[in-house]
Order: sequence, then C-alpha cells, then structure tokens
Amino acid sequence: MTAIDVSVAPPPSRPRFWRVFLRQRSAVIGGAIVLIVAIVALLSPWLAPHPYDATDLVNVWAPPDSVNWLGTDKLGRDILSRLIVGARTSLVVALSVLAITFLFGVTLGMVAGYFGGRVEAAIMRTADVTLAFPEVVFAILIAAMLGPGVSTIIIALALVWWPGVARLARSLVIVQKEELYVDAAILAGASPWHILRVHLLPNIVAPLIVRASVGVGFIIMAEATLSFLGLGVQEPTPSWGGMIRDGLPALRTDPMLACAGSAVLGVTIIGFNLLGDGLRDALDPRLHRS
Amino acid sequence: MLRFIVGRVVGLAPVLCAAIVATFIATRLLPGDPVAVMLSDHSADVQMAARLRAEYGLDKPLPEQFVRYIGDILTGDFGLSFRYVHMPVWQVLKDSLLISPLLALAALALALPVGALAGVQAAAHRNRFQDTAIIVVLVAGLSLPNFAIATFLVYLISVKLNLLPVAGWGTFRQAILPVVILAIPSAAYIARLTRTFMLEVMQQDFVRTARAKGLTNRLVIYRHAFRNTLVPLITSAGIIFGGLLSNTVVVETIFNIPGLGRLAIDSIFARDYPVAMAVVMLFVVFFALINLIVDTLYALVDPRVRDGAPA
Repeated sequence: MTAIDVSVAPPPSRPRFWRVFLRQRSAVIGGAIVLIVAIVALLSPWLAPHPYDATDLVNVWAPPDSVNWLGTDKLGRDILSRLIVGARTSLVVALSVLAITFLFGVTLGMVAGYFGGRVEAAIMRTADVTLAFPEVVFAILIAAMLGPGVSTIIIALALVWWPGVARLARSLVIVQKEELYVDAAILAGASPWHILRVHLLPNIVAPLIVRASVGVGFIIMAEATLSFLGLGVQEPTPSWGGMIRDGLPALRTDPMLACAGSAVLGVTIIGFNLLGDGLRDALDPRLHRS
Repeated sequence: MLRFIVGRVVGLAPVLCAAIVATFIATRLLPGDPVAVMLSDHSADVQMAARLRAEYGLDKPLPEQFVRYIGDILTGDFGLSFRYVHMPVWQVLKDSLLISPLLALAALALALPVGALAGVQAAAHRNRFQDTAIIVVLVAGLSLPNFAIATFLVYLISVKLNLLPVAGWGTFRQAILPVVILAIPSAAYIARLTRTFMLEVMQQDFVRTARAKGLTNRLVIYRHAFRNTLVPLITSAGIIFGGLLSNTVVVETIFNIPGLGRLAIDSIFARDYPVAMAVVMLFVVFFALINLIVDTLYALVDPRVRDGAPA
C-alpha cells in the first residue's frame, strides 16, 4: 500500500482557494462539465423532450431525426431523454455511495485513530479483509444475495470504498490528536465523542473533501460498469451503463445508442476527475499528484 | 523468509473465512426454493422434489449443511449446479477456468512494455509536447471505463474498417481486441507509475554523474535511470494483474467470451448460485495468491518488510 502523506496544511483562505482553482485550466473545464451534468440531472424531468419510458414499437432503432434527436432504442424509446434522465441516476447513486462511505468510513477511521488499541486493531483488520475483495467480485456476491438492483450496487460500492476512507481518516486523526488543542479540550473535561466531532473533524475536513471529490468519478465509473454487467440499475430506469449494454449488440446497424452513451459517460467521468484534481491542488497544495 | 510467507498465508485465513461464510449465506439462506426452480413445470411432483433435495443435501438442517459445505470446499468440491441439474459445479467451470487468467496474462504482457515505454518517454520529455500528449492519453485511458473505449474501438475497427471480428472466442484474431481493451487502463496506470518513478530517479546524483561523464541522453535514460525504476514496477505488477483479472468480467461480457466472469454473471441471472459462488471463491483465491506473491517479492527485495519493521 502506498503511504499517505498526512501533513495537513491549514485550510486556505477563500480568495486563495479561488485564485489557485481558477488558474488551472483543466479544473475549470472539469468544473464546467460537472456543473452542466448536475443541472441536467436536477432538471431532467423538464429537460427531457419525451418520457424516458415511453415505448413506440413501430419506431424502434430509429435514426436521429427532428423528433428523436438521437434516435430511439430497441423499444422505440427516445435516446436523448434516456441519456438526460440517466444523468440523474448516475449522480443519485454516486452521491448515495459517497454519503454512506463517508459516514461509516470517517466515523470508524476517526474512532480507530483516536482510541487506538483493540478498537483500532478490530476496525483496521476488518478494513484489510474487505480490501482483499475486488469490487466486481463484491458486486457479484451481493447481487447473488440481494438480486441485481440499485441497492445492490450502492451496498457493494460502499463496502468497497469505506476502508480507504477509514484509513485516511485514521491517519489524519493520529496526527491531529497530538496537537495542543486536543490536550486543552481533554483538560476542559470534554468527552471523547465531543472532541472527535467538534475539535478533530473540522481539522481533517479539507483532505476528506479532496478525497471525496477525487472519488466521485471513480464511483460513477464503477456504477456504470456494474449496470453494464446487468447487476446494477434495472430497466426501465435508464442508466448510462445499462444503455451501453443495450447498444453494444446493435453496434453494427444502430451505433447511436452505444456511442452516445459511451461519450456522455466518458465526458462526465473526465469532468469529475479534472475537477477533483483541481480541488486537490487548490485545497491542499501539499497533497500533490503522485 | 519462510516465517514471513507462513505468516502471510495465515493472514489470508480471515479473508477466505469471510468469503466462505458469505457464499454459504448467499447460496442457502436466500428466499425462494432452488428445487422449485429446477423442477419448473414438474413442481407438483413431490417424489422428484424429495429426491433432488436429498441429492443437493438441502434436506438436512442448516448447521449440518454448513459443516458439509466447508468440508466440501476444503476438498475442492463446490457441489451441484442449480441450472444444469445433476451436473457438478466444477464440470460447469472447467472449460472457463483458464480463459480469464489467460486474458489477464496476455493483457499484462502487452501493457507492461507499452506502459513503461510511454512513461519513460513522458518523463524524458517532461513538460514538452510528448509529455503533454502522453498525459492526455493517460487521463483518457484511466478515466474511461473499458466498455466505453470498447464501444468506439469495436465500432471503428470491426464495424467501419471490418478488420477484426466483433465478438467471439477461439481464434487469434478474435482475441486481439479483448486483450488490447483489457490492457488499456493497465498500460495507462503503468505509464503513470513509470513517469513518476523516472522523474524521481532523474533527480538523483548518479544520473547527474552519468550525464557529466558525457553519456548520450538515451544511455542515461535507459541504462541508468530506467533500470532503477524496474524494481518498484515489477512489484506493482501483481496489483496490476489483480485489476486485470477483475476487469476480465467486463471484457468477457463485451465480447461474448465464455470465461469465468461471464459465467458468474450468467449464473446469477439463471439463479445458479452454487456456480456463481464457486467463481467468487476462485476469484478470491486468485487475488489472495497474487497478493501473497507480491508481498513475497517485496520481502525479497526489501529486508525491512521481511523483518517486520515499518516499510
């Protein structure tokens, strides 16, 4: 495992953050892409020109025209509308995974780092065992137990991602708990829980945000992969991965579905990754690109 | 050294235990009766149901089933398939067993030299056009999921140019696209690693000395700098191989290749849990073995790891 650089810079002041962030061209491009995807996801019910699940069996695999701008799929559903609603699916899954991962990962990691001893050993051993499973295998295991579906991928991805977050939170807390303000809080009679929540958490939040922003792109990719395999989002709910799955067999005759889905998915992931790298450099200049 | 390896093997035990318990829960405690699924049309036939239940050991109490399950797994017996009634799981698996590792090995053999060369080139031309171009390709290779890249490559090469078959398995030509697509993310990862290592090594004194001796740029880079990046590169080959192995699931789905990963997915949809779980177990064992080999390599190279000091 690579060592994590745990030196924490003080959170930069607001003007400096924007100055560093806006100076990076790629970060601004990434931010713009993310903003567009987020707006589309938020407004998808109003932006989609057709209902995403309206089938039209006399008009299947239609090429792009003035009604269906990107054509239709095997059930005659409008591809553009499904792409737009698919943005919402992707973001909802990604944010759910992120929320669960951070809730458990940060809590367990902070507890492990602060208390040490047996608690730490138990939590970190569990994390190690979890890390031994690759994410696709995890998803297969969970899909076998719960059946394919959105909850399956959310659980599988959260299980895969929490150990990394827990390790980061633990290493950050181990550094921070040596600081004087923690001793001061202990002397003032604060409970460990209070110290963790009120004193330590704000001081480790910047690297955690960086970690989260870098993670979103990977989570979207993982969700799309599992939906592509058929383990994730199920019909008729549109997901980009599922649309590419539907489109690949028809690539020879009707390439629009697979190609449009792949392009939208690829651009979105690159956008999130560029934004994540930009945030990392702007929020914490010492956590540099490896 | 032996003590180190034994320690690592013992350390794998909890992982395998977790996998065994999870697979047992997944196969036995699920809602729905597998015998009913197997009988389908003959679901009223009580005698046949009882016979199947006995054959699959489903008539015993759960604790006894669990003990038998562990015993069977330790002897390499994964039981009978639900989908292909009466057929042992290993017989369902055996044709697929080698395909996934073979794909992963072929992709590794392609990704290592290509990635290393790209990384060296990027480092040697730091911040110039070659570097930027390689980094752009790297970002794309690392960010785009396999199947999105596959969509465009298959469309371009197989559909538009008609150079290679769209899907299938068995001939060399059918293997080219899957291996290339499997190799792309790993090649990008290797290139990034190599670039980072190279940039670090090129700051070192011995590189400056080599330059001061008047060696050509090419000799400095390949004989002096690149050699020193080989050790970290080789030790990360195990992690890369692990990633390749789990990505075979995706590539097998794209190209309709009858490997282990696709078998697992198909088995889930067919509710053939014993087969799906056997594949999961096999993958976990593969990964555990890879980790073991990587750790052993580390220990061989770096005595600090072997002696238990913090690495």
